[in-house]
Amino acid sequence: MTDLIPMGALGTPDPARASHGALTLTENTALMLISVATRPGTPAPHPLGLHLPGPGLWSQGQGAAAFWTGPGQWMIETDVPDHAERLRDAIRSAPGARLTDQSDGWVCVEVTSDAGPAPIRALLERLVNLSPDQVAPGHATRTLLHHLGCIVIRRAEDHLAVLAPRSAAGSLWHLLRETASRQVPAATA
Amino acid sequence: MLIPHPLLGLRDAQEFTYLGDAALLNRPDPAAGEAGFADYVYLRDNPAGVHRELWFHEQGDRSWLVVTRNTLTHEILGAELARDVKLGGTA
Repeated sequence: MTDLIPMGALGTPDPARASHGALTLTENTALMLISVATRPGTPAPHPLGLHLPGPGLWSQGQGAAAFWTGPGQWMIETDVPDHAERLRDAIRSAPGARLTDQSDGWVCVEVTSDAGPAPIRALLERLVNLSPDQVAPGHATRTLLHHLGCIVIRRAEDHLAVLAPRSAAGSLWHLLRETASRQVPAATA
Repeated sequence: MLIPHPLLGLRDAQEFTYLGDAALLNRPDPAAGEAGFADYVYLRDNPAGVHRELWFHEQGDRSWLVVTRNTLTHEILGAELARDVKLGGTA
């Protein structure tokens, strides 16, 4: 067998990482994504008790989280391989539900702040054309960042995650680093 | 321009693509014949004023909306899910 070297979406063997002022950007290479879709009229499934939230929302459960991507459609995130397998089985047995594995299709960058929510809010002001309540903690939405279709998840007051198509990993990393580095004076002032 | 998405609230028009007259939802019966389909495919009203249009939330949840817009003032008077319009709100 050929020896293959696992690497992140940015071509680095370890998850890419950068710090700008109070903000730290880290590539999340462990994240597995499962897309769930239901037929119209089918109630939302609860795989392993995970709540699938309503429009624009993100919800955290035991070992997994989920966000809404469209009518009757959600994305489930987990970083535990065994749990992903159990979730897939649970979705397969839910009536009217279909799943597709999307883990390899996306790159995820986690943005955390060690100075409270202000630097994250300032970053969002520069990045997305959405009102603060649409990117409040517990919200997730698909939108445009620098003309790139991304999913923006506000995991907590001081924690943001951005998902972009994996082939655009370099563009996402560039735009996040540029934007974070330009706000360093404002964030530290 | 902000479009009031019925599920996601006010969203930037940049996230949408525009298709045109919402009359496209009313596809004629296959038995309508060539004349009926020629009208459906080629003829559009071009009103100066209130117009119902199809917009696609391409960079969002990918739903089709029927947006009522005043073509003179660009005022948006409402937006509904095209699926609800087509299926009579039963979906």
